[in-house]
This record gives sequence, C-alpha cells and structure tokens, in this order.
Amino acid sequence: MTKKYVGQNISKVDAKAKVTGKADYPQDLKFDNYLNVKIKRAPYPHAILKSIDLKQAKKVDGVVDIITGQDYPDLNKFGLIIKDQPVLIGIGEKMRFLGDALAIVIAESEEAAFKARDKISLEIEKLKVISDPFNAIKKDAPAIHDDIELCTDYISQDIGKQNILVDHYLKKGDINKGFKEADLIVENTYQTQHIDQLPLQNEAGYAVYDQYTEILKIWAASQWLHDTQADVAQALNLNKDKVRIIQTAIGGAFGKKEDISVHLHLALAAMHTKRPVKLVYTREESMISQSKRHPLTIKAKTGVTEDGYLTAWQVEVFGDTGAYASSGPAVVHKGMYHCTGPYNVANVKGVSYAIYTNNTYGGAMRGFGTTQMAFAYESQIDIIADKLGMDPAQFRYQNAYDTNSTTPNGQRLSKSVNTKRTIEEAVKLSNWKGESEK
Amino acid sequence: MKKKGRGMATIMFGFGYGEGFPDHSIAEVEITPDNIIKLRTAGADVGQGFLTTMTQIAAEVLKIDPSYIEIVGQDTHQSKNSGSTSATRQTFFSGNAVREASEELMGKLYHYGSLHFNSNHPELTVNNGEIYHCENKEDKITYFELADNIKKRGESLSAEASFFPKTYAPDKKTGQTEKNYVAYTFMTQVIDLKIDTDTGLIEVLNVYTALDVGKAINPINVEGQIEGGTVQGLGMALTEDQVIKDGITLNPDMTNYLVPSIKDIPNFESILIENEDSDGPFGAKGVGEPTLIAASPAVANAVYDAIGVRIKQLPITPEKILKALEESHK
Repeated sequence: MTKKYVGQNISKVDAKAKVTGKADYPQDLKFDNYLNVKIKRAPYPHAILKSIDLKQAKKVDGVVDIITGQDYPDLNKFGLIIKDQPVLIGIGEKMRFLGDALAIVIAESEEAAFKARDKISLEIEKLKVISDPFNAIKKDAPAIHDDIELCTDYISQDIGKQNILVDHYLKKGDINKGFKEADLIVENTYQTQHIDQLPLQNEAGYAVYDQYTEILKIWAASQWLHDTQADVAQALNLNKDKVRIIQTAIGGAFGKKEDISVHLHLALAAMHTKRPVKLVYTREESMISQSKRHPLTIKAKTGVTEDGYLTAWQVEVFGDTGAYASSGPAVVHKGMYHCTGPYNVANVKGVSYAIYTNNTYGGAMRGFGTTQMAFAYESQIDIIADKLGMDPAQFRYQNAYDTNSTTPNGQRLSKSVNTKRTIEEAVKLSNWKGESEK
Repeated sequence: MKKKGRGMATIMFGFGYGEGFPDHSIAEVEITPDNIIKLRTAGADVGQGFLTTMTQIAAEVLKIDPSYIEIVGQDTHQSKNSGSTSATRQTFFSGNAVREASEELMGKLYHYGSLHFNSNHPELTVNNGEIYHCENKEDKITYFELADNIKKRGESLSAEASFFPKTYAPDKKTGQTEKNYVAYTFMTQVIDLKIDTDTGLIEVLNVYTALDVGKAINPINVEGQIEGGTVQGLGMALTEDQVIKDGITLNPDMTNYLVPSIKDIPNFESILIENEDSDGPFGAKGVGEPTLIAASPAVANAVYDAIGVRIKQLPITPEKILKALEESHK
C-alpha cells in the first residue's frame, strides 16, 4: 500500500534552522551577566588528594569563587547504571583517572577561569596506575574501587575479582560435544582500541538557578533528558521537579552524550553564585574526561564441519571499562551476546568481564560492544571459509539465521529474520564472484 | 605496488535496551485551534532525523500535511519520558508511541466529527486535515475548527500513548532467556579497497550495502545512516585510536587522532530491504547502530583478499600492514 508521507524523502524538519544558523547550540544561547566555569582535573590517573591550595588562584583578577569538595561534602556519586563517579574529589579521597574533577573555577571571563585553574596547587599521594586490564585482574592488583561488589558467584577462582565491575556468562547446548563434531577448529584473539565518538560539538551548557522557585535549569545536549534529570537530582540531593533539563540543538552524540558531563558542575556553580553560568569543554578535555568505545580483547574459538556447518563457538571477552562504570555494565556482555553473529550455532559458551582500570572510562558508542564483536566473528568466518576453500558468501549463507533460529541467548527469532536476503542482495549489488577481480 | 581486495561482512544487532530492562516511550499529539498539531516527545534528535521520522509517522496516521506538525516538549518539564536516543530504539519505540497516540487521536476526530455532523463513523471521511459527511462533501470542518469547538466545551483534541514492550533478563549462569531484545536488524556489506604495498596505505573504493530496514520511514535518511555509520566504521577500521599509556592520553586532539575526512569517503551503493515485517511503526526496524558494525571486519577481510595477511588488531594502520607483509615474506 502506498503511503503519502511515510516512505517519502521529506526534508529534515530542523534542516532550515540548522543551515541558516537559527538553531541554538549551547554556545549560541544568550544570558546576561553570566559567569564562566572551568574544571580543575586530576593531575595523575591514580592518587589520593592530600590538600588543595586556592590562595594564588583566587588572587587572579576576575575570579568569583572556586568550589571544592570541602564546600559540598554531602554530594552523591553519579552514573548511568551504577553510581560510582564522584562529583568532586574531596581531601583524602581518590582520583581514578585524569578526568576526575577536583575544583570548579568560576570567573567573569574564560581567560580568568583558565588562569586561576592553572594556579591551583595540589598535594597528592601517587598510587600504582593500572592501565592494562590484564594487570587489573591479577590477584595482587590493588582495587581501584573498594566499594563496588557486583561479581556473580560463578566467577573463576583463577582471576582477581577486585577490579571486575561485572561478569556475564553464556551456555547454550554442549560446547564439548560441539567441538567433537567439528572437523576444523579455528582459534584467534582479536583486539580493538579506545575510540572517541568525536561528535563535532564538544560538551557545553548553561545553568540558571532561580532562588524563588528553587528550580535549577540546565541547557545542554543530552541523549536522554529525563535520565540526566534524575541523575543530577539524586547527586545533588534535590527533588526531581526542581531540576529542569532543556534540550539544545545537538551537534552529534554517538553515545557520548548519554553520560553526565557539564551538568553537575554547572548546577553547583549556578546555585553557588546565583548567576547564569557557562561551561564549554575543550576537545582535549572532552577526549580525556568523557566516555570511550571499550577496547575489547576477544578470544574466539570456532568449530566447523568439513562441509562448512558451524558446530561450536566459544568466546572469552575482556573489556577495559576504565575508571568508572558509565554504560560499561551493559556494553561488554552485549558484545558477547552477539558472539556468533547471525549464524546458527547449536553449542555456545562465553564469559565476559568489564574491568576497571585507570584509563578514561568506557561507555556507550554506536554498536555498544557488538561493533567490536563483529570484527571478531566476521574475521573468524572469513578465516574458516578460506581454510575450507569455500566462497565466504556461500559459507555465510548456509549458516545464516532463518525464522525460528535461536541466538546465543536461546531467543527464538519468530519473525523478520532477513539475514539471507541481505546476503543475496549484497551479492547481486556488488556483483560478487567469490573472489575479487584483481 | 597497488593491490585490490574485496571483503564481506554480515552482521546482526539486537535493538532496544533488552535484557529485561524497562524500556518505553511516551508521546502526545494535540490538535490546537491555531492551525498547529503539537507532537510532544522528549526524544533527542542527534542529527539522525528523529524529529522528522516522528513527524512523518504522525502525518501519515492523522492524514495531514507534515507542515502542520510542530515538535514540542524537548524539556523535562514539558514532556514525559521518551527514553534515550541510543540502542537504535527511537524509530521503533517512540515511533510506535507516536503512531499509537496518533491513532487514538484519529479515533477522537471520528468521535467528535460524528457529533458535529450528527452521524456515525462509517459515514464520515477524515482526510487532509478535514472532516466531512459522505452525503455533503461541501460541508467540511477542519481539524482545527473542530479543536476550537471542543475547546469551547472545556475539552481538548489530544491523545497520549506509551509503548512498552517486554524483554526478559538472561539467566545469570547461562545467559538464556526467552526474549533478550525486542528485535534484530541484519545487514550485509561488501567493501572494495586498494593497498599500496610500498607505503601500507589503504584507499577504500566502494561500499555495497544491503540493509534489512523493515520499512524506511524516510529512505534518504536511512541512506544517510548507512553512509555516516560506515564512514565511522572505516575510521575504526583504519585510523582511529585514542592512545592511552599508563592512564594518560597521548593524542587528545584532532591532529593526532585521525577521523576520516571528506577525501576518504568511498562510493556508496545501497539497497534497502523493506519487508514491512517488524513490530515497529509501519514495519520499520532501527538502523542507527547496525550501519557502523560491518565496516571493520569487511575491511579486514578485504585486506586479506588483497595481500594475504590477516590483521587481528584494530586499527589496520600502514605500519601494521608493512610489518605483516614483511613477516609473510620471511
């Protein structure tokens, strides 16, 4: 049935405002008498804050005030799934990566705020930095967080669990039987990297606090307004209806604007000064302080018969989730749950770990763990096809999901299973011949 | 020497939060007397075209030109939760909420229209922003005039809907569950590239994509997702790497962290497979994340096809190509 508007190439409803410059990105908003905010961040990835000296910083012309953890000792930690990230690191507390905030500098000009930020002097006690997730899971590795205990009872006794945020398991069919049925077993380790989502728009926003209504308004780009509202409210001990988050035009996100960024520090600065406040991250600050695509180490072992049918698939997945949880408790095992790709495999076994380190934290990025996993399973598929001497398209096709196939989670796919159609169409479109025309 | 290669990747992506995590979207549609239909959603448009998609769905159901529809409620104090713009979920979740709210509102147009014409639903035509009785097509009332009449009675011509499908948490020990994700999107991609074996530099030439989209609400925006997603995937495959050593980022800037530029964009040919067989609005599935996923393995497979070396660590830089070539010649 033809439809009048659905299925039509209607111009984006916000296109005109964006191309004519009328769309308001955070930096385009105008507030009278606003103050500039900059954040003093951790100088070392793993350390205790012993003391903080603001004397020289406060002498900088134009500085209005500097907020530290001592001013707000009752703040709660924040985070998308697990609340493990502090708003400000207080004296005697631990910084866990270079993005941790130690002080909020508020000044009449951006220059003064930067200048004062750089005049804050700190005394810290350095701790051992854990950058490699495989060092983090050694039995004698120091714990980056000592108050997070989410591991299951099924965790292997061979690894240290003090830095494991979450562990997950897959068990479908009988993996030993699957490998026995195989004529060929292919085992490889794949490694992916830290990636920044790199939206053009860096984190930015304004906040205004109304003393009479006691409503705090924050203008900042967010991928989930109501979640940001709830997290800001709980971190600052405010009622949710006193925190109002207003969307601005969004200059790209790709997962990076799910996490809190400018919001909490803007909120404190606005409530503290009773004036509008503005905070814009630099690119460097954005890359160091906000979420990354998790680097995953994927050990994949795949069994196949000589006529090219998959019999067993086993994975071990190690994800570097960095200093804080963010979306980490959901990303790494979502990757594992996609470990076979869209192929029928009766016997599957998997384990995944999201591991704390002192690196910039891993969070959401387009694909959410499954992107990294696809690099592993689709490499395996081609390696196996090559070893069997089969056309990789044919090998994919004969193992591909159909209606009523089951995923590694045992979910039966009852409708809209169009894997084979995508292979057929891509083969036709690309004039696939089984090998390239060199 | 320049060597050409071609690689394929087929991927799947389970969309929505899934795993038993509550996942819903609330939308409201209101016909106002001042010639505007307000579509209230808190969903974020991150550039992908969410607001356009929602406008098209509401316009289709309400049988009115999209220019009458205005998005409102991009503010926690003016809207209810639409869930995040993530997990490839907005077209499916908010799209269904908007469709349901619009259908509810269509029901109200018939209800109040039948009161106005002193008739019943089957005798009415509701189309193009107007309602009339089949026996007298000249006697019309617009949606907006009807809204004005209703407003005078202290009522409003509006409807709200929530879309809240269920998934179930996987078993902790085995990961098994009846329904882990609401649905899956599939895609196959073929990538052609050329490698300079002296420098290790890779040039991506052609990208052929077949995407299982269910129904493209806005086909050119879906193609935009394929092209943008793939280019982001090519960055992952070839250049992007935030190097963190002992907790310290060595390249926190766009000079040393390399994303694809306009000169790196290959030719694209895409096919949208529209079986209209999903539970999304008009049979649509989510496509945002799936479009990125196939690029890095397709590139790795094409590299092997071209020069016979298998790179298992991303990104596939010229240094890695040259080192692998050197080792393969030993």
